[in-house]
Amino acid sequence: MLAIDARDVVKTFRSGWFRPRETRALQGVSLAVPRGAIVGLLGPNGAGKTTLLSILATLLTPDSGRVTVLGHDVTREAGALRRRLNMASGRPSFLWSLRVGEIIAFYGRLYGLSGSTLRRRVDALIELCELGPYRRAPYSELSTGLKQRVALAKSLVNDPELLFLDEPTLGLDPDVAGRMREHIARLRREQGITIVLTTHYMREAEELCDEIEFIKGGRILARGTSGELKRQIGLGEVVALKLDPPRVAWLGEAPGVLRCAEADGWVECTVDDAEKRLPELLRALHAEGVIVRNVRVSEPELEEVFVELAK
Amino acid sequence: MWAIVVRNALMASRNVFFFFELLFWPIVGVLSIGLMTRFLRLTPEQASFVLIGTIALSVVNVCQLEVAYAVLLDVWSKSMKHQFLAPIGIRHLTAGSWLVGMARGLAIFVLLALLGGWAFDFDVLHPGWAALGAFLFGCFLTSWVVGVAVCALITLFGNRAEAFAWASVNLVLVLAGIYYPVSVLPEPVAALARAIPLTYFLDAYRTHYGFPSEFAAPVATGLALSALYAVLAHLAFLAAVRRARRTGLLLKMSE
Repeated sequence: MLAIDARDVVKTFRSGWFRPRETRALQGVSLAVPRGAIVGLLGPNGAGKTTLLSILATLLTPDSGRVTVLGHDVTREAGALRRRLNMASGRPSFLWSLRVGEIIAFYGRLYGLSGSTLRRRVDALIELCELGPYRRAPYSELSTGLKQRVALAKSLVNDPELLFLDEPTLGLDPDVAGRMREHIARLRREQGITIVLTTHYMREAEELCDEIEFIKGGRILARGTSGELKRQIGLGEVVALKLDPPRVAWLGEAPGVLRCAEADGWVECTVDDAEKRLPELLRALHAEGVIVRNVRVSEPELEEVFVELAK
Repeated sequence: MWAIVVRNALMASRNVFFFFELLFWPIVGVLSIGLMTRFLRLTPEQASFVLIGTIALSVVNVCQLEVAYAVLLDVWSKSMKHQFLAPIGIRHLTAGSWLVGMARGLAIFVLLALLGGWAFDFDVLHPGWAALGAFLFGCFLTSWVVGVAVCALITLFGNRAEAFAWASVNLVLVLAGIYYPVSVLPEPVAALARAIPLTYFLDAYRTHYGFPSEFAAPVATGLALSALYAVLAHLAFLAAVRRARRTGLLLKMSE
C-alpha cells in the first residue's frame, strides 16, 4: 500500500511584477512511496527536493499532476491530510522567546491536544528527543543541534503516519548527526512511520533509506537502493589485488574489467560486477601461475554516484 | 484557537515592547491630549469628545496589532510554515489573537478611563453600561477588521507590507474622526469616513456627552458595516494564504 502516489507533478515559480521570471522547479515528477518506508530525495542545490517535499506536505500547491498522500488528494483534502503528517526542517525556526516545552505544547494544541493528554505527549517527546535539561530554556538560547531536536519533537507531536524531514542533520556535529540518524531509524523501526527525507549527505541516505530518488533540474534522474543506483550509473566495483609478480599485462583486457591501475603495490581493477568477475580473475591468475597474496573488494561511494549524476 | 491565545499571551508577557504598547504610549497620549484641552480651555463636553477619541485610538491600535500578531509573530520568527502545516483554519488564528487583543484593549481602556477620570474629570460611565459596551465592541470589531486586513497584506506581499500595515490603522483612525466630527472633513474625505465602522461607534458614544448624532441609527450602521468588512477581510486573508501556497511565499517567509 502506498503512502505517497505522485504523478507528473509540475511546479513553476513566477517572480517579478514588471519583468516576470519563471523557474521550473518540478518538471513532471512521479514518486511512489510504500507505507513504512524511508525514502531519500537526493540532488544538488536547486534540484527541486524541497519543492517536492513541500507539495507533498500541503505547503505548496502543484501547477499540475495528481498527488495522493495517505489516500488524500493534497489540494482538495489538505485539511484532513494535515492531521496525519508533519514536517521538520534542518534550518528550524520557532518563536524565539518561547521555551522548549512551550513550543512543543503550542504545536500540540494546534493539533487538538489538551489537558493531561497534551502534558503526557510533551513529556514523552522531551524524553524521546533528550531535551529534559532544556525544557525551560528559551528557544533563542539553544544550539543548532538542540534546535533540530526541538524541530524533531515538534514534528512528532501529532503522532504522524508520515514524516517529512528536510535536511534533518544539516550543520550538526558528526556525533549529534549520528544520534539524529539513530532517532530517525528508531521512528520507523518502533512506530512504523513512513519517512521522506531530503539530504546532501550520501552517508545519511545510504544508512537510512530503503530507496533513493535522485533529482536534478526538477526531474528524477535515477531511483533505487544505493546498490542499484551504483549499478545503474555503471561506475563498477574495484577489485584490488596484491600479486606476485606485481604486474600482469593481460589483466586490463580480461572480460568484465573496465580499467586497471597500479597504486602502492596494489593492482586496482574496476570491474562491472565483482561477485561474478573476481572468481574468473582468480582462476585465470592461478592458471598463469601468478600468486595472489591479498584481495580487497570495494563498492563505489554513493558520493561518486551523486557526482556522476549531478554532472 | 486556545493555542493561539496561550501563545500570544506568553509572547506578550516576555516582550518589553509590549509594556510600551500597553502602558507607556496610551498614558502619554491621554495625558498630552488632556493637558492640551486644559490649555485651550475646552468645555468639559468638548474635552470628553477629544478624550473619547484618544482612548479609542489606543484601544483600536493595541487590539488590531494583537490580531495582526496572528501572522506577524510567525513572520518575525520565520516559523510561518509550521503554523500553516497544522490542521487549523485562519479563523482560529485571527479569533485567538482577537481574544487576547480584546483583553489587552479592555485593560488599556480601564487604565485610561481611570486616568482620564482622575486627571481630567472625564466620566466614561456617563452614557451608561449599554452605550459603553456598544462603543467598546465597536472598537474591537474595527480592530478585528483592520488586523485581519493587515494579515492578508503581509501574507500577500511578505515583509514589504509591514510598513503599510502600521500606516493603515492610523489612516483609518484619522478618517474616523478621532479628534473632530466627520462633518468638518471635506466631502470626498467625509465620504470615506462614512465607510469606516468606527466613525459610527464614536458618533453614537459622543451623543451622550451632548453632541448631536450625524447619522441615523449609528450603532446599527456600524455593526452592519463591521460585519460586511469582517467577511471581506476574512475572504481576503483566505485568498492571500491560498496565493502564498501557490507562489511559495509561505515557504520564503519561513527562511
